[in-house]
Amino acid sequence: MSETANDVDGNGESVAPSVYVGQFAQLLEQGGTLAMQLLTDEEYVHYALAEGKRFQDSFEIIALLKRSFETFTKLNAQRMASYCGFEMAREYFAVNEFSNAKQHFDSIASLYRKEGWVTLLWEVLGYLQECSRRLGAVKDFVEYSLEMAALPVSSIGSVQSLSFKECGPAVPASLSQREIIHKEVFELVRGESGLTSNEGNNDLKVTGDQPLHLEIDLVSPLRVVLLASVAFHEQIVKPGAPTLITLSLLSQLPCAVEIDQLEIQFNQSVCNFTIVNGQRPQLDATSNGQPGHRVETAPALMLSTNKWLRLTYDIKSDQSGKLECISVIARLGPYFTICCRAESPASMNDLPLWKFEDRVETLPTKDPSLAFSGQKATQIEELEPQVDLKLGASGPALVGESFVLPVTISAKGHAVHSGELKINLVDTRGGGLLSPREVEPSFTDNPYVELLCVSGLECEDDSQIGTDDIRKIQHSFGLISVPFLNDGDSWSCKLEIRWHRPKPVLLYVSLGYSPHSSELSAQKIHVHKSLEIEGKNAVVFSHQCMLPFRRDPLLLSKIKMGQDSDQVLSLPLNETSILIVSAKNSTELPLQLLAIFIEVDDNDIGKSCTVRHGGEDHSDLALLMPGEEFKKVFSVIPEVNIPKLKMGTVCLRWRRDTGPKGQPSSSATASEVLTKYRLPDINVELSPLVVNLECPPQAILGNPFTYFLRIQNQTHLLQEIKFSLADSQSFVLSGPHNDTIFVLPKSEQILGYKLVPLASGSQQLPRVTVTSVRYSAGYQPPVSATTIFVFPSKPHFEMANMGMSRESIATE
Amino acid sequence: MIVCVAVVGHQNNPLYIQSFTEADDALKLHHIVHCSLDVVDERVNNPKKSGPTLNETFLGLLYPTENYKVRFHLAYVDAVSNPFHVPGKKITSRTFAERVSNIVKSFGLSSAG
Repeated sequence: MSETANDVDGNGESVAPSVYVGQFAQLLEQGGTLAMQLLTDEEYVHYALAEGKRFQDSFEIIALLKRSFETFTKLNAQRMASYCGFEMAREYFAVNEFSNAKQHFDSIASLYRKEGWVTLLWEVLGYLQECSRRLGAVKDFVEYSLEMAALPVSSIGSVQSLSFKECGPAVPASLSQREIIHKEVFELVRGESGLTSNEGNNDLKVTGDQPLHLEIDLVSPLRVVLLASVAFHEQIVKPGAPTLITLSLLSQLPCAVEIDQLEIQFNQSVCNFTIVNGQRPQLDATSNGQPGHRVETAPALMLSTNKWLRLTYDIKSDQSGKLECISVIARLGPYFTICCRAESPASMNDLPLWKFEDRVETLPTKDPSLAFSGQKATQIEELEPQVDLKLGASGPALVGESFVLPVTISAKGHAVHSGELKINLVDTRGGGLLSPREVEPSFTDNPYVELLCVSGLECEDDSQIGTDDIRKIQHSFGLISVPFLNDGDSWSCKLEIRWHRPKPVLLYVSLGYSPHSSELSAQKIHVHKSLEIEGKNAVVFSHQCMLPFRRDPLLLSKIKMGQDSDQVLSLPLNETSILIVSAKNSTELPLQLLAIFIEVDDNDIGKSCTVRHGGEDHSDLALLMPGEEFKKVFSVIPEVNIPKLKMGTVCLRWRRDTGPKGQPSSSATASEVLTKYRLPDINVELSPLVVNLECPPQAILGNPFTYFLRIQNQTHLLQEIKFSLADSQSFVLSGPHNDTIFVLPKSEQILGYKLVPLASGSQQLPRVTVTSVRYSAGYQPPVSATTIFVFPSKPHFEMANMGMSRESIATE
Repeated sequence: MIVCVAVVGHQNNPLYIQSFTEADDALKLHHIVHCSLDVVDERVNNPKKSGPTLNETFLGLLYPTENYKVRFHLAYVDAVSNPFHVPGKKITSRTFAERVSNIVKSFGLSSAG
């Protein structure tokens, strides 16, 4: 840049502002004429700088350089801008404005550090060193000096020796020069020499009153001065068990450094310890004044150039959690300490600047695997729990009942302080226990499985709960405090869980406690137990509708649809139908049935369906074994002719059988459960024709009896009925065999037959077939309806009139 | 006349710098080389602007003869092909330094003659 400025320099006086704004021109003499030659920007800049130099006005120069700096920054030419900044700083330095100069030199230094231009950095650090000295900033002076001493300036073939003039205050970079700086700075920090500052002739010294402390973090350029690598030999350790830790230090300073003392600091400050150099005299501040502080002595703590100083010690901790080495503080002399952040060998960054050099790189630890995977932190495991947590399983849970699960805690080795019991109910498939649909407010009230309460042995009423006891129960989560337990004691509580739907559930119970009562070691030990509990439906219901014995109302819908499509059950209006409800025990446990009844829905029109159960009402029903089926017979009379009639809901009250009375079970009486089964809606039809068979239940051989066939016409129409009677070998029959009769509207026709039995025993009555011509429907009574028992002679006992017994099973 | 030869790495770090002047301004040349990296950056970041000179990796066409460019490049390739050379680190080969000096000397002679 400076070479081409010569043209303009010589004719500096002839430069004049031109006619055009902002465009300077140079007046040239060519022969006798004068001509104006426009100057290029470059030429103008050189002219301006030369003018500035001529007048020796540093501030003018600085102003010009500042403008150049801004322009280059706008053009994104960072390095050119930095060079302008460098020149500005030199001008400030020349006029003794050291703080301004230092500020600019600092920003340029960071660029050179980043890009690895060592000779340029050396030059700038030389300036910075001198600025700090003039300003009396001892700490900065020491930092810059150390950085210079540790710079890689002596590589072969890269830099020739530079002249003294060019380098500013720093002498040309070389290894010997680094050593000189090293010696000078260590003399200063050990208090053996002073620093002459600008103000007066005071010697700035590092003393006991003004000690010096440097911090080297993970991005500091002083990492080359001191680097601390810390590796635990084991990643997981039991509490109280010793493990090994290796501390490795590295420095690129040209001379060997003797360390007086190293203090290793951990996140658990109890583990902090100090290593003293056995060869240096004991200093006052070694023991830290704390009794019980661990002090190790190393035979030597000499740090050589580019050679790892490796120290291995054992270490242990009683507190569980993470044990991490935070920093290493090196004491070099009585007044100087360097605090280095500990680094893990596995994740150590390269050394700045030295990473471009071809230096010998060695591993921080002898063991290569530790060098690649070593970490500065280790995990201390939790203490082994010495408390038993037991979940008493009492079989599968049944839907609807309050399932009781006892939880017992026994202390076997540890006392239980500040115990907390956490209860969690989790779906085995990982989902929540709420309804699978979108979470709406209503569904949170209807969980599938619910934790109802936790009851202890002693405190049944809330008044006994202490103020700091926790007792929090939600649908699927519970948290209660456990009282203090001595070693050997035990305590139990009961969990009551209710299933609303059949669902398998995982129950997690965790106990967290402290083995010691002191607040200091507030480390908790945890014991976990889990149990999978299946929730099952206790009872499976089914129902069946049947016609009464020897009576058949014609249902037109059945004819149309056929026998197989029973989508909606049809029942005849005002006729009695038999409803059989069966409940099957689908569990592996015996169930005690208490009551079964049907709740009839109240419709708007009042009671539209009469349901009666026949027979005696058993107050204590039978024990239903697994797989057994219980049947109860009801009769249903629909009273309203509507297409969809609600029959009602079957309610079964039952409870789990708790076994023989001699057994000492914790759940003394199981709770009663009411299970409901909704009966389907029925279709009610008015039956046009009803056929009845009337016959005595038994006969005596040779004695005639009457057999009636009654046909009821419930319509307004005349009904034509065809009937036929087949002969039976066992009877003599008198009466019409085949005929067609007409039944008047709303009236009935009775056909009577006289029969004489010819054989004894269970006999079949003559089969009758009734056909309705209008509806093309036929009726033939089933075999069971046409069976009669014939006694050979008159029996000698009184027979009770069984009447129309509804307890007998009728088949269709 | 060649006054300075420099090899710069990917992170703009100098792998090799040698100056060939009699005067004591080697440090100045270091500054110049460092600042010239701005021009390189511009070329690298705006490839479209340097249309006709797309393949021009030498930033300053001073003489028609281009032999020295090839010779420099050959010397560089030989230096980094050395199995003991670690890529990204400084070039410490004395052979490379000698060859560079020879190229500069012969270049100086040819330009003078």
